Amino acid sequence: MPIKIRESPKIKTDFSITVLRKRLLAIYIAITFLFCFVLGRLFYVQVIWGEDLQEKAIDQWTREIPVVAARGEITDINGVVLAANDDTYTVFVRKKAVKDLNALCTALAETLSLNYEYVYKRLTETVSSEITVKKQVRKDAVNALLKYGFDGVYYSRDNSRVYPYNEFLTQVLGFTSTDGKGQSGLELYYDKYLKGIDGEILYETDIVGVEIDGGKVSYIPATGGLNLKLTIDYEIQQLAEAATAEAMTVHKAKSAQMLILDPQSGAIRALAIKPSYNLNEISRSDISLLYALSRNSLLSDVYEPGSTFKILTAAADIEEYLNGNPKAFSPTHIFNSSRYRYIDGQKVKCWSNHANGKHASLNLQGGLNNSCNPIFVDIAMSLGKDTMYKYIDLFNYGRTTGVDFSGEAQGMILPISAVQNVDLARIAFGQTIAVSGLQLAAATAAAINGGKYYTPYFAEEIYSGGIIAEKIKPKMKHRVISEKASAILSEMLEGVVRDGSGKKAYIEGYRVAGKTGTAQKYENGVIAAGKYVASFVGYFPANAPKYLALVIIDEPQGEYYGSTVAAPYAKQVFEGIINLKNLPPVE
Amino acid sequence: MKPFIRRQGGDYALLIAVVLLAVIGTVFIYSASNYSAAATYGDALYFVKKQVIGIALGVVAMICAALYDYKKLKKFTVVVAILSFVALALVFVPGIGVENYGAKRWIGLGAFTLQPSEIAKFSLILFSATYFSAYKERAANFSGVLPVLLFGGTVCLFVILEPNMSITVCIALLMMTVIFAAGLKIKAMLLIILPAAFAGVVLILIEPYRLSRLAAFLNPWESPKGEGYQLLQSLYALGSGGWFGVGLFNSRQKYAFLPFAESDFILSVIGEEIGFIGLVFFFALLAFIVFRGLRAARRAKDVFGFILATGIAMIFGIQVVVNALVVSGSIPPTGLPLPLVSSGNTSIIIFMAEAGVVFNISRKGTGTF
Repeated sequence: MPIKIRESPKIKTDFSITVLRKRLLAIYIAITFLFCFVLGRLFYVQVIWGEDLQEKAIDQWTREIPVVAARGEITDINGVVLAANDDTYTVFVRKKAVKDLNALCTALAETLSLNYEYVYKRLTETVSSEITVKKQVRKDAVNALLKYGFDGVYYSRDNSRVYPYNEFLTQVLGFTSTDGKGQSGLELYYDKYLKGIDGEILYETDIVGVEIDGGKVSYIPATGGLNLKLTIDYEIQQLAEAATAEAMTVHKAKSAQMLILDPQSGAIRALAIKPSYNLNEISRSDISLLYALSRNSLLSDVYEPGSTFKILTAAADIEEYLNGNPKAFSPTHIFNSSRYRYIDGQKVKCWSNHANGKHASLNLQGGLNNSCNPIFVDIAMSLGKDTMYKYIDLFNYGRTTGVDFSGEAQGMILPISAVQNVDLARIAFGQTIAVSGLQLAAATAAAINGGKYYTPYFAEEIYSGGIIAEKIKPKMKHRVISEKASAILSEMLEGVVRDGSGKKAYIEGYRVAGKTGTAQKYENGVIAAGKYVASFVGYFPANAPKYLALVIIDEPQGEYYGSTVAAPYAKQVFEGIINLKNLPPVE
Repeated sequence: MKPFIRRQGGDYALLIAVVLLAVIGTVFIYSASNYSAAATYGDALYFVKKQVIGIALGVVAMICAALYDYKKLKKFTVVVAILSFVALALVFVPGIGVENYGAKRWIGLGAFTLQPSEIAKFSLILFSATYFSAYKERAANFSGVLPVLLFGGTVCLFVILEPNMSITVCIALLMMTVIFAAGLKIKAMLLIILPAAFAGVVLILIEPYRLSRLAAFLNPWESPKGEGYQLLQSLYALGSGGWFGVGLFNSRQKYAFLPFAESDFILSVIGEEIGFIGLVFFFALLAFIVFRGLRAARRAKDVFGFILATGIAMIFGIQVVVNALVVSGSIPPTGLPLPLVSSGNTSIIIFMAEAGVVFNISRKGTGTF
């Protein structure tokens, strides 16, 4: 049908209604296509991409206030609390909800003992919508603040760690950061159990953090951390703390250290290191000093053990002898009385001058009693480096003990391929080798407990509200020597305390056994004049050892022999234990 | 064959659809704005009240236009053109022009503000219709459409100076649609489109903010708090809607997260609340209005009515599509209202009046095309 055109005065032939119709159809198609495209795009955004977008959006719809989980307690084996929490709170302010800023600042400054200008500045100049005014605020201050009834002030429990005994078991317990994370010691090692799971208060807000009326508030409660029960015995630890403190004053030593463990299980009963510090007054401003004082040197540092290492050489000889190794010496064998041994042209000598019949005609027992170096050189040379290294390996030197603590040292041992005869000769009496105190204590325990190597450990159990989450059992790694060899060795070490260099640790009727050690210190590869490490490793009762103590006095002034400097403190602590536990004499 | 009398009666369905859309729009304006309006103006119904007044005036304008013989509109071509250019110029006069977000797009009229570009769009349609009805045979050649291009180009120039890129683009697209509908040869079309596209690129390059918006569009997560913010918030809203939406009035994005939630980005809130399924129905209503407008054009008994109805239907359709593409992150964000839905008085009054014009065309339509 032709279009009726009334407006146009002239009708040209090139105007065609068909063109207009076609054009309109094209427009129909185009707009339909565009609408379909838009719907397709919306389908993609809403349906396919939607979940992802919503997840991102939820983030911005809610604000959260953390609810800090209560950190687990640390107790000794009898439940004496060694690390606990004070109920403290973080005070938050949500700026947008504050009505009277000046009044609030005044009240905050007063109750939290802060400077008004500081509070005002914090509240006005901080960009975020939740402002932390102060952490670890005590309950009474919070109560005082609550009385004002301010809008926009929030409290969230944050806990402060407290150590009831201040300077006590310091390097073992370690400390936490101000926001309650374990930073050193067992606080760090067992952090994942102690810390618990923080909760949150989530509330729906608008863009600037103003809570929406009728918005959902969800409370995700915090799960408190698990408690940690240690193998440490508070009372024995007290003895060790006192003994090391005394050793520091008496001998003006650089450091005094004591480790007590149960040789039948590896459970550590006490570990004291001086100098130390009060765990409740951590000097966070001097990080390097804090780091030095926090170092658990009995585990993390190595030293040249000296004569206490002869226990290993003696153990190797006895075991090999019992096994019929012809290169081993019989306990009754009388060694050459000379002060010197010449190894590959080098002279190795005894610490004693052997004058006036000293160290003459000694058997192995006599060698241990007098700590005579040449006898142990003879044993090592005779057994050879393969056998000696076999025992070094069996006694777990050169490897960490596996104690539940971070930063354990491996020790330093010459590789077997590099060791010369003269090195081996010195290793026999504890030189040219470096071990950690814990390695020595654990190895000695294995040598005298019947021959079983136990991994030392601190944690007795992990528990919560009467439910034991994990009970730690003693871990026997392997046998080091036979029961018989162990018994013979233990008898000999008992002799050392009864008749030999360990006399100062002797307690009538309690069968104390042990071995002294005195080592010269090296500085930059040369012997440092006048610097010694006096040590004693002892235990009782010799027939069924229950307590093993390692005492290390680093750089004592004046006297420096293990026998006179270190052994008396072992005795002091053993007597203390006997009193505490009311132990009857064994004989 | 439908009864003659009903055709004489005009396309009431179009009018109902338009009013329905405006009412739906008001509901969503309430949903999108009540929180921020209460916070900003102390009145949760601030935008709703303005919109209701706009709709009331719009309905009056629509009824008047529906009853007024559209052919007589030709007489007003020059007057409307002069008025719209004066209004466009007034935007730049200090004290009269109202500046918002760095652009002068409004002129103040007491309590109300007027957006001259809205009038200018209608003026362009009216001018084209009048011109092509007078010189329909010239429409095929480039020289014949020059007056329309000149008119449209001048409007574009004013609007781009405000600056308002998106309305400029819409006006340019409208102009192209109109001369295409009038029958310009395809070769001549290309002669116009290519330089226009080039001009568009230049316009983006000379305005640094457009360039940064373009970059933000390509990767909004690079500046989630800056240029990418608006787009991300819009996507978050749509994405949260999913298939079925979070429910009417349950938008979370309206809590000040999504700027312009009641105006240019109202589609985001609608999508969040009613979901994709809801949007399908919503777009069906929008498409219905476009198709009814094109139907009136098809049935118009003269070229004037044909161009007028096509232009009105298409400016509505173009704005819907461009707005939806912006909101869904398909093209860089620009400020453009969703016709009949977004908060904004000038826009709603003009669109409703235009719907009245289309109704009048449909009323007189004889089904010629």
